[in-house]
Amino acid sequence: MIPEGPSPVTSSPLQFFPWMSPSPGIGSPFPWLWELKPEERGLWLIRLLVACANHVAAGSLENANIGLEQISHLASPDGDTMQRIAAYFTEALANRMLKAWPGLHKALNSTKISSVPDEILVQKLFFELCPFLKLAYIITNQAIVEAMEGEKMVHIIDLNSCEPAQWINLFQTFSARPEGPPHLRITGIHEQKEVLEQMALRLTEEAEKLDIPFQFNPIVCKLENLDLESLRVKTGEALAVSSVLQLHSLLATDDEVPGRNFNSPPVSKTRVLQMTQRTFGEWLEKEPVHIYNPSSDIASSPSSLAPAPKMGSFLAALRALSPKVMVVTEQESNHNGPTLMERVIEALNFYAALFDCLESTVSRAPIERQKVEKMLFGEEIKNIIACEGGERKDRHEKLEKWILRLELAGFGRVPLSYHGMLQAGRLLQSNNYDGYKMKEENGCLVMCWQERPLYSISAWGFRR
Amino acid sequence: MSGEAFSLPAASIGGFIQDPSNANPNPKPNANPAKKKRNLPGTPDPDAEVIALSPKTLMATNRFICEICKKGFQRDQNLQLHRRGHNLPWKLRQRTNKEVRKKVYICPEKTCVHHDPSRALGDLTGIKKHFSRKHGEKKWKCEKCSKKYAVQSDWKAHSKTCGTREYKCDCGTLFSRKDSFITHRAFCDALAEESARLTSVAATSLNFRNDTVNLPHGFAGRGVQDVAGIPQFGSGFPQDFSGMPAPGLPEMVQMAPANLFGSSSHFPGFENGGATSSNSNNLSLSQLPQGLKEEGRNEGNLMESLSSLYSDNQNKQSKANASPMSATALLQKAAQMGSTRSNPSFFGNSFGVMSSSSSHTAPTFMASSSASMSATSNNLDKLMLQTGGKPSEPSLLSMHHPGSNSFAQSLTRDFLGMSNDQSPRPFLPQELAKYAAIGSTMGLSQFTSSNH
Repeated sequence: MIPEGPSPVTSSPLQFFPWMSPSPGIGSPFPWLWELKPEERGLWLIRLLVACANHVAAGSLENANIGLEQISHLASPDGDTMQRIAAYFTEALANRMLKAWPGLHKALNSTKISSVPDEILVQKLFFELCPFLKLAYIITNQAIVEAMEGEKMVHIIDLNSCEPAQWINLFQTFSARPEGPPHLRITGIHEQKEVLEQMALRLTEEAEKLDIPFQFNPIVCKLENLDLESLRVKTGEALAVSSVLQLHSLLATDDEVPGRNFNSPPVSKTRVLQMTQRTFGEWLEKEPVHIYNPSSDIASSPSSLAPAPKMGSFLAALRALSPKVMVVTEQESNHNGPTLMERVIEALNFYAALFDCLESTVSRAPIERQKVEKMLFGEEIKNIIACEGGERKDRHEKLEKWILRLELAGFGRVPLSYHGMLQAGRLLQSNNYDGYKMKEENGCLVMCWQERPLYSISAWGFRR
Repeated sequence: MSGEAFSLPAASIGGFIQDPSNANPNPKPNANPAKKKRNLPGTPDPDAEVIALSPKTLMATNRFICEICKKGFQRDQNLQLHRRGHNLPWKLRQRTNKEVRKKVYICPEKTCVHHDPSRALGDLTGIKKHFSRKHGEKKWKCEKCSKKYAVQSDWKAHSKTCGTREYKCDCGTLFSRKDSFITHRAFCDALAEESARLTSVAATSLNFRNDTVNLPHGFAGRGVQDVAGIPQFGSGFPQDFSGMPAPGLPEMVQMAPANLFGSSSHFPGFENGGATSSNSNNLSLSQLPQGLKEEGRNEGNLMESLSSLYSDNQNKQSKANASPMSATALLQKAAQMGSTRSNPSFFGNSFGVMSSSSSHTAPTFMASSSASMSATSNNLDKLMLQTGGKPSEPSLLSMHHPGSNSFAQSLTRDFLGMSNDQSPRPFLPQELAKYAAIGSTMGLSQFTSSNH
């Protein structure tokens, strides 16, 4: 029973809380929900999300289900930023919960049609709408040009070759070199053949226009399956590697940290319903609390690096090729925590900033924005939250960890030049990108949205 | 005569390039008859005699050599005077009385602009220096800055001013040029830190004043929030990325040499992307005032504090699109409320609590919450440690004394629906937010830690 009045929330708490009670029958939303101001609704969403994630992490799927139900009244992929974020996060959480019933999960996902043109489009949209990729390309190219000063034969390995503009820019810089352009070879790696065909076409066309001796070698495969022999690096050529948001997928590994509860057997539904206030404290104690050693947080001790055998072997093989420069662009957030809650919180912060950024940059094209949000960010969020083991590819890590990993693998840091940063700054200014910042940290660059670091770029060479 | 110098009347040279139709040896067809005291460089007197000297001649320092002692002199007059010392016959050439034909010189280097007689230089010393500078080897080096010069006089002139005039950034870097100094300041971390510090100092001073109002907490944490009721906010700070004062920016843009722009301009969508959405800023801002009005109990103070926050921040970093409506701001606010209130997760656990809710009265709720307090605050501690966040120690400890917590008291009161003198509208959004703050603290404390 809801009392009338200007603020319908002047009800007694007992009437207030039954909305939250797990007992069935109270499913319809109370009207006062709709009277929530956006800010309050946003705060509610955050609380509900975290609470729901807690339940999922604890394996109490019934409670999580209720949580999802409640959030569904407030979240929406068409609403304001927080509502949209909540929509994607709940989808990811639901996905995760569904994996407790593997048969169900497989059945629901069996007829999915993945459309390659759509995926290509989304990547293109992200490239065009936000400056992050453009900045990454500018800085990468600048680092390559500087490292290749005086070189006559240059071989570039592109770990995710999907945007021709990246290399066209490099062509121009190279052709303006006083000593003339080098003999250029680009090996592009991508999972889809069509993308590489497009790349080859565009790039050879541009290279001809600029009169640069050029060769494009496509390699259609997943990065983790890459056989470095197939790169066919020749002696005498100077090697450069460009990795834009790719390296983290190699951190995926099937061995997990022991003690984690993924897919713990669903708490019997009856247990939840029987919970009284008396057993509440006990419930808390029974809840699998994950006790972490302080050293397992983001401290920079080598022991804190999550083991990643694939990464180790890949980096070692790369190092053996003695590249002159390797430029690594990665998301600046820790989405590789061993527990779900860690990842949820970090992801909430990261994607909140990213969604804000997208919202502010793309105000007039809601369809495009929604596509990027759903097909790019939404998929990443799903992967971070719902997947585990080898399936979880979006294992973003912070710059300090990358530095550790790369140094362990025998790479030495090459400071990024001021010149590159200048160019990046010019790009931001010339297109009125408001709110974006570039910060320099120890020779690496960090792209931020309103003080929140989002992407980091660093350059590496081999240590002799 | 030392070798290869030769002079041709301008006509024959002009003939290669233009129509030799006129006897008048014009270096260029459209002659400027008016005689100027000093021509612009490379625009020679039309009826001057064009002289082409060989590189060797131009670079030769001492053309006149004494036969006896082989000493070299730059001028014939000096050689003659020297010859007197050897008792050799000497002759000083007098300046000829008749009209001297003006001589202009062209650069022997074919690719050079001044190779063309119409762009000849009027001075022998000038052409010599030009040739050294452009086509010669740089043998003179400045000690301080290791800049190299081909002509000694250039080198001397530079050494005099090198290091005398400098610009110094707050971060300690020195610049000799104004433009590079200004560019640097755009990126300087030290400047950004300092302005951030100043901003947060201004914000924290506001915190103390408005303890009970939530909004400034959310603002203060970042210092880059928008302020209510100032719709033109978004458009006022277009170039926030650099954090520089506006006048410096046009210089930056002008500095850009063309080829650098060329490299970045070829990205196909680069110029088209990223429209600023000051419109959306305004929309979200206009929603703000409503929320603010209801949120703040001390409304007068709120607006006042916000406006002073605004004026403090005005000269510092930009706040384009940082309204509290943004998801990041909401998260920070949630974290702030969670950590400052430091409530155990009443709410999140109330799922279970309220299942048999109808018969419960407030005191028993309190009892349960106190029982859970230790457990939840344990978890809170652990999780806070884990993420490296700063646990708000004093308030956490206070939670271990159930009932002494003022919030718990008010909770009791509110539960019973008693009218409070404190809060005339107990379950307003403000309270809602409080309750919202109770929810699942496990996660809340981590909000603040994940942003560096």
